[in-house]
Amino acid sequence: MNILHIRDAADVEAAVRTAIAGEQPLEIIGHGSKRSIGHVMMTNAVLDVSALNAVTCYEPSELIITVQAGAPLDEVLSLLDSKNQEFSFEPMNPAVLLDSRSGRGTIGGMIGAGLAGPRRIKAGGVRDHLLGAHAVSGFGDSFKAGGRVVKNVTGYDLCKLLAGSWGTLAIMTEVTLKVMPKAEAERTLVLRGLDDLAANRAMTAALGSPYDVSGAAHTPHSALKAARGALAGLASMGQTATLLRLEGIAASVVHRGAALAADLASFGAAEFVENAESAALWREIRDVAPFAADGPLGAWPVWRIVCPPASGGVFGQTLTRETGGEVIYDWAGGLLWAALPPSVDAHAASLRRRLAPLGGHATLLRADEGLRRTVDVFHPQAKGVAALAERVRQSFDPKSIFNRGRLTRMPI
Amino acid sequence: MTIMMPAPDQMVLDRRDAIVRDFREIVPGEGVISSAAEMLPYESDALTAYRQPPMVVVLPETTAQVSRVLKYCFDHGIKVVPRGSGTSLSGGALPLADAVLLGLSKFKRIREIDFDNRVVVTEPGVTNLAISQAVAHAGFYYAPDPSSQIACSIGGNIAENSGGVHCLKYGMTTNNVLGCELVLMSGEVLRIGGKTPEQAGYDLMGIITGSEGLLGVVTEVTVRILRKPETARALMVGFSQVEAAGECVARIIGAGIIPGGMEMMDRPAIHAAEAFVNAGYPLDVEALLIIELDGSSIEVDELIRRVEAIALGCGSTTCRISGSEAERDLFWAGRKAAFPAVGRISPDYLCMDGTIPRGALPRALALIRDLGEKYGLGVANVFHAGDGNLHPLILYDANKPGEMDKAEAFGADILRCCVELGGVLTGEHGVGIEKRDLMPHMFSEVDLNQQQRLKCAFDARGLLNPGKVFPTLHRCAELGRVHVHGGKLPFPDLPRF
Repeated sequence: MNILHIRDAADVEAAVRTAIAGEQPLEIIGHGSKRSIGHVMMTNAVLDVSALNAVTCYEPSELIITVQAGAPLDEVLSLLDSKNQEFSFEPMNPAVLLDSRSGRGTIGGMIGAGLAGPRRIKAGGVRDHLLGAHAVSGFGDSFKAGGRVVKNVTGYDLCKLLAGSWGTLAIMTEVTLKVMPKAEAERTLVLRGLDDLAANRAMTAALGSPYDVSGAAHTPHSALKAARGALAGLASMGQTATLLRLEGIAASVVHRGAALAADLASFGAAEFVENAESAALWREIRDVAPFAADGPLGAWPVWRIVCPPASGGVFGQTLTRETGGEVIYDWAGGLLWAALPPSVDAHAASLRRRLAPLGGHATLLRADEGLRRTVDVFHPQAKGVAALAERVRQSFDPKSIFNRGRLTRMPI
Repeated sequence: MTIMMPAPDQMVLDRRDAIVRDFREIVPGEGVISSAAEMLPYESDALTAYRQPPMVVVLPETTAQVSRVLKYCFDHGIKVVPRGSGTSLSGGALPLADAVLLGLSKFKRIREIDFDNRVVVTEPGVTNLAISQAVAHAGFYYAPDPSSQIACSIGGNIAENSGGVHCLKYGMTTNNVLGCELVLMSGEVLRIGGKTPEQAGYDLMGIITGSEGLLGVVTEVTVRILRKPETARALMVGFSQVEAAGECVARIIGAGIIPGGMEMMDRPAIHAAEAFVNAGYPLDVEALLIIELDGSSIEVDELIRRVEAIALGCGSTTCRISGSEAERDLFWAGRKAAFPAVGRISPDYLCMDGTIPRGALPRALALIRDLGEKYGLGVANVFHAGDGNLHPLILYDANKPGEMDKAEAFGADILRCCVELGGVLTGEHGVGIEKRDLMPHMFSEVDLNQQQRLKCAFDARGLLNPGKVFPTLHRCAELGRVHVHGGKLPFPDLPRF
C-alpha cells in the first residue's frame, strides 16, 4: 500500500491532480479510526491528511473554531473544554465500538462520518454545525464552501453534503465549526424496568414536554451488565433503564427534573443521577459501550438504525425477538444500535424489509471484511434518489478518485 | 437597477399560444393565467423595484400536475420560475419573459400532524405561521420565524433557508426540515428524507434547502416541531454608544448564554419604530438591545439577572424587564414593525442582509455610517445581533433621478464590507438577482463552478430559475470536463491501480 503523506493544503491539490492524471483512486485517511466502516475500497493508495493538524483560529466569543481537517478530535475537544465550550452534537468515539487503536480520529473524519451523539435530538447533528470548508474536489481544484458565520445563505450549502459523505466528494483541508457553551449542570432521570414499548412511550412523552430534554435513551438490562463503566452501575437491580437528560443552570435542571418526573409518574418512580456521573452515562450511550469491541458482544455485527422516533420501540422489540440480538435506543427511539448474532447477511434482508414501511434506514457499522463484501453496508436508496446521489457525487468527483467503492457494493 | 437576465428564447415566445393551450390540458380550470391584466400580481416578488411579466402563470394543485408541467417544459426547452407567496426580498421569484411562472399557492393543505414524532407534513403553499398555529393547541410550534411569517410559504422558506429572530437558538429552516417530496426539472418525483431524524446517504435535503428554486420544485415538506418553552421574558436595554451595545452582545454570548433572540436597533430605527407603535423605546439612546430568554421560569429569572448585570457592566443607560406577556409583546412590537416604520419616514428603502462576525459589529456600523455620508443617504440599522446578521435599511426616494442607483451602490458597498470583515453577502434573504453580481466578491470562479456543477446534477439543461444566484452561466458539459494537469507531477511514485 502506497501512502502519500502531504505537508499542506497545496500538497493535497497536487496529489489529487497526480491521481487524476493517473486515474488512480485514493483512500483518504486522517488517523484511520473509522477505516473499517463501509465497503472494502478499490484502491491501493492512501492519502494521509493527518499532517494538516493545526488550529487556525478559535474565537470563543464568536462561537466558532477553524481547524485543519487532520486536527486530532481529542485535542480540539480539550481546547474547547478549556473555554468551557464543546461541539454540542456530541461526536461519538468510534474506538469503543470498532476496537481501533487509532483513538478518536480527526476533525475531518468526524465530519465525513457525521456520527452525532445523544444531543442530536436537541442540538442537531454534525451537518448543523459545519459552517464552512476549504476542500479539494475530484477535479483537482481547491474550493471554498460556506463561510465563518452561523447565518449564511450565500450560494448552495455545500457543507451539508460534505458532512456524512464518508470522504467520497472532496478532501476537506480546513473547516469552520460552530461551538457552544457547555451546560453548567446536568441531571439524568432514570426510569426502571420499562419494556421497549413503554420506554418508547416515556421518551416520546418527555420529548413532548416543555422541559427541554437533551438526551433520551433506553437500554436492556443485559446491555447495562455488558458495559463496564457507569452504565454497569445501573445494572444492579436487574432491570432495564430509561434515561432522560436535562441540562442548564443548576436550579433549572433540579426544577425541570422534578416536573418531568411528575409528568412521567405513570411510568414509575424516577431516580436521579447528577453531573459527572450523568455525563459518564451519556458518554457510554454515545459510544455504545455495551457493544464495545472488547466486551462480551464484541464479535457481533452492529447496525445503526434510524427510524421515526415513535416507531423505534416496536421495531426494536421485534428485531430483538426475531434475531436474539440486543438493541439500545437513543434519540427517543429515533436511533437504534443493534448487535445481532452472526448470520450469513447479518440479518440485513429481514431488517431492511421491516424498516422500509417506516421510512427508516440502517447502516452496518461494524462487520468483518467478509460481510462488508457481501452485504450493503449503507442503506440502499430508492432508484431515483440513488441516481441523483450518484450525479451529485460525480459533480464533485467524476473519476471516482476519492474512497472508490466505499459507499456502494460492487457486484462480486 | 440594471441586471442582465438570460435572453428570451424567441422560438418559445413564438409558440406561446400553443404552450398555453397545452398547459390548460395539464392544469384544467383556472390554473393557467395568460392575460396581461391577470398576470400583473406575478410580475415581481417583494423586491418590487424589479418587474417582468412572465410568459404564462401556471398554478397546479397536485404533484402529478407539477410533474407534467415540468416534464413538458423539459421536453420543449421552456424555462420555469417557481414561486411560493412571492415575499422574497432578493428577487428569487422574479419572472422571465419566456418562462412559465409556476406558483405553488394552491398547495394549501397541512397533510399530517404527528405529535409523537414531533413533525408536521405539509404542502408547500401553507404559510410559516399557519404551521405554528395548527399545532399551538398542543403547546408546539415551528421555530423559524421570518418577519414575513404571516404571508411567506413554507415552500419558499425551504427555497431561501429562511431565518428569523429566534434562529440564534433554534436554527434556520435547514435545521428544522426533515424531508420533502421534490419534483426535478425532468418531471421525476423523488422523496428525500422523511420523519427520521437523519436521512440515508448524502444530505440532499441540506442542499435543496436554500437552493433558491434552482434545483427542483418542492411539493411536500416534513418539518420538525418543538414544544414551546415554559416561559419567555425580554429585556430592553439602551446604550449611549453603539460600541457598548456590541460589547454587551459579545459578553452575553461569552458568558455562555444563548438567548432565544437578541436584536439591536440604532437611533434612526428606534425613533422610526417608536413613532409607529409607541413601544416605550427610549429616544435618548444610540442603540437598543432586545434580549429574550426562554426556558423554565427559574432559568429565565436567573438568566435575566445575569444579562442585566452584564448590560450594566457595559454601561447601559436604561434597562427594562418585561413583567408580563403583554409587555414582552410590546418590546417586540417595535422591532417587528421596524421595516414598515422606516417605510413611513422615507418614500422608499432598500433592506440589506449581510452577516458579519459578532465582534465586528461596531466596525461595521462605523463603516455604514461613513458610507451613508459618502452617498448622502440616510440609513436605519436593525440587526439580529446575536448572530451578526445586519439589516441596514437604506433610505431613498425613487422619484428623485439617480437616487435608486445610488442606494443600490451603497447597498453593494455595505455587502462588500461584510465580506471584508469576515462575513457573507446574505444571512437569510438569499442571493436571487439582488446580490447575484456580488457573488464573485465572496467566491472565486472555481468555487462558483463547483456550485454550478451541483446544479447540473439536478437540472442539466439549466431550465429551472435561470439568471438567479449565479452571475455567469456555464454549460454543464463544459463544467463537467476534468482537466488533466500535465507537466511535472509532484507525486511521481503514485502507482497505477
